[in-house]
Amino acid sequence: MPATRSLRDVTIWKQSVCLFATFILMLAFSSEVFAQAEPEFYNDQPYAPNEWNIGRRMDQSEFRYCIDQRDPSWEQDGAIADALAQGLLLQPQRYVIPSEIEAEDLTKIYAILLEKCDIIMGFKLIPSGYPAWLTATRAYKEIGYSFITQRTDIKSLAELPPLRAIAATGGTTAHIRLVSYNLSQPVDKRWLVYPYGGDQLALSAVLNKTADLALVWESSFLTLQQKDPAYSDFRIISSAPLPPTLLGVGGVILKQNTFLRSAVDQAITALSNDGTIKAILNKTKSAAAGKP
Amino acid sequence: MNIQSLLRSTVLGTTLLALVAGTAMAQTPAANQLSKLTPVTDDMLKNPPDSDWLMWRRTYNGWGYSPLAQINKDNVKDMQLLWSWGLTPGGTTQETPLVHDGVMYVQNSTHLIQALDASTGELLWQYQHRLPDGVSPNGQRTKALYGDNLIVATRDAHILAINAKTGKLVWDQQVADYKKGWAYSTGPIVANGVIVQGMTSCGNAQPGGCFFTGHDPKTGKELWRINTIARGDTPEGNSWNGVPVESRYGASAWIAGSYDPDQNLIFAGVGQPYPWPAVINGLLPKNPDPKYTNNALYTDSTLAIDPKTGKLVWHHQYLSNDTLDLDYVYERLLIDLPVNGQTRKTVVTSGKLGIVEAIDRVNGEWLWGKETVPQNVVSAIDPKTGAKTINPAVIPQIGQTTFNCPADPGGRAWQATSYSPKTRMLYMPTAEYCSNTVLNPLDQGQVYTGGGLATYNRVPVPNGDGKIGQVRAVNLDNRTDVWMYRQYAPITTSTLPTGGGLVFVGTLDRKLFAFDDTTGKMLWQSPSFTNSIESFPITYSSGGKQYVAVVTNWSSGLGRLKLLTPDIALPAHNPHEVYVFGLPNK
Repeated sequence: MPATRSLRDVTIWKQSVCLFATFILMLAFSSEVFAQAEPEFYNDQPYAPNEWNIGRRMDQSEFRYCIDQRDPSWEQDGAIADALAQGLLLQPQRYVIPSEIEAEDLTKIYAILLEKCDIIMGFKLIPSGYPAWLTATRAYKEIGYSFITQRTDIKSLAELPPLRAIAATGGTTAHIRLVSYNLSQPVDKRWLVYPYGGDQLALSAVLNKTADLALVWESSFLTLQQKDPAYSDFRIISSAPLPPTLLGVGGVILKQNTFLRSAVDQAITALSNDGTIKAILNKTKSAAAGKP
Repeated sequence: MNIQSLLRSTVLGTTLLALVAGTAMAQTPAANQLSKLTPVTDDMLKNPPDSDWLMWRRTYNGWGYSPLAQINKDNVKDMQLLWSWGLTPGGTTQETPLVHDGVMYVQNSTHLIQALDASTGELLWQYQHRLPDGVSPNGQRTKALYGDNLIVATRDAHILAINAKTGKLVWDQQVADYKKGWAYSTGPIVANGVIVQGMTSCGNAQPGGCFFTGHDPKTGKELWRINTIARGDTPEGNSWNGVPVESRYGASAWIAGSYDPDQNLIFAGVGQPYPWPAVINGLLPKNPDPKYTNNALYTDSTLAIDPKTGKLVWHHQYLSNDTLDLDYVYERLLIDLPVNGQTRKTVVTSGKLGIVEAIDRVNGEWLWGKETVPQNVVSAIDPKTGAKTINPAVIPQIGQTTFNCPADPGGRAWQATSYSPKTRMLYMPTAEYCSNTVLNPLDQGQVYTGGGLATYNRVPVPNGDGKIGQVRAVNLDNRTDVWMYRQYAPITTSTLPTGGGLVFVGTLDRKLFAFDDTTGKMLWQSPSFTNSIESFPITYSSGGKQYVAVVTNWSSGLGRLKLLTPDIALPAHNPHEVYVFGLPNK
């Protein structure tokens, strides 16, 4: 779906035309590089089946983006991608990743970026968090990890007594921050922190009383709460004494696609400044807040 | 023989054949070889014909040794390429071809299963198992032959029985849901009439970890299942620091086991907890409740399992609370060895630390250990129990870079060690390198997360000689080093000792070597292949002639060391081929 708002800002329009023209030129000149985007066989180097048969795309008037239905914010990310396409004066081409596999290695997106789209929306911006073959755009929104509970007597993490359990989605930035804080406490002041393989698993641990709190991606919680009445009385509490863990969310692009990244970054800036992205976020009623 | 021209023809041939979809395809000359095929019996598995390679390590004892001696120290210099066969490029295979009655069975990474005339390389039949979208095409380290069938595990967690003579599917048993990440990377062993298969990829979406299953070879029906993560209010179940079962991950069973018919026991390895860093997986800090330990059973252990019932008879854990991805999952060699003046029935194995260890295979008692590659993880080994003291400086911590040797691919990886009863030596491919290890968040995408939540930046061993790859020969009677071959390029195949007094190995830089098994002198080396050789070489005979077969492919494991050897160039499309060598035809 294209974004409902057209860009009227003349400055942005001029920028977009220039970007578009340069984009086309760059694609033309860089096509050989793109076509030969074969991996060197280094560690963590991804693999796409038959990638040596994947040539460059011919239709360069499209903004080919991917969104993933397994991401709770996928529709919101899609709306933002449509707005970015409009800002770049390109025709949006949406590809919804059809996979039903619950958890995948980051290298899986290599094949998707070769074959299906130029950018995948909805990735968290983690410093040094991306391999050499991938690059991230600037953030178009920020979302946080939140502590969730069913207990009515707790308003913040600080109120959870020691030796009570927290179910955290394992290995997230917020989980690592919690573990780091917990380790700094005296033994008798620590909580029990259990890692879970995903947000829903962590939330279900609170539901079945295995843990008092869950530490999950806030969008996941809000989406699950809308779908499943079992979570209707779950609520977000303050992360104090920890600061909130907020992460910027952007898109990821193959490293060699530098011009596209630059163009998207400029479009994100423009659409953030003129309120377009904030309007989309408000309309889609997500936990995400527009990044000023 | 011109390898390049032969290669071109075989690759083209394979490409054309790949256009033929799915079902079995018989050819006239091939039919003759297939007509000679006999069923694989229990007795045959216990005592395989010298000519055959019927299971992953050829024999139940896991030795990986062939008594064939036609190719020997005197004539190996004349060995040459006799035929080759192109497999589907891309992905990984880590293949062990199986050979029975002159028929070779190979599995392409795409799960195209093929039967070849082992004397000529002619295609006899092929069967395509279609992988679902989203499941990467990668092969299996091994398969099994039993009765009239070839038993194959798949990356989408199925076990298949394919008629070995016709290539037609006999049964297809789905064991787990690939959408939750379950997968097989190694095929089964058939013991006492039961197919025993280990599950792997028990990461984020699989709370509770992995398992072994037993299956009826006639139908594929699951007979039993045993979890590789201990459960319940027992000392074993309470060894996970109080972390609930649904919060325990890992313990993958990704290598086939060995079998002792006398005891009717399978000996199989189990991998480490996931994610690797203990501060993240909940095993550190130690739970103050004394009821709990944080050893994380049965990770990094040998399990002794009755294949008929699935009963766990005993276990031995080599490494508790593994926080560095140091898998003690590899092959188990069943060898009777002198220990303190007595002959003991042992299980010999080693994990990524490269410490060779023997336990009693009757009761699991630890007997001895021997270090090989440089390592700084274990600072002491209890001489009675084998319990290891871990150097605290190597345990990954949040916000710190720690230094550990070896790095995660291992001082030895899945490339199997082997044992020759002629020399009583263990032949071990090893690698020397270290890692600057950083614990990092890997939550980039909601579903696209990383694997182990630690980054291993591999670096050379301090003050090393730059020779990363080695082949070591260790006398297991007295645990002495007999010889060692060292070179820059990593050794990337298992070792293959033979009755001809040879040990074959392959390398990342595309060579196959033959060493004198007693001296380590290199007696032969192949021309350069099209790709690195990361697989399990075998030898067999057909029509009275001995062959040595190996599959090329760039894979994971020690192939990751290319990061340390960037000047070793490999082709971008990762070609896979079967190469078969022998003495010149007269």
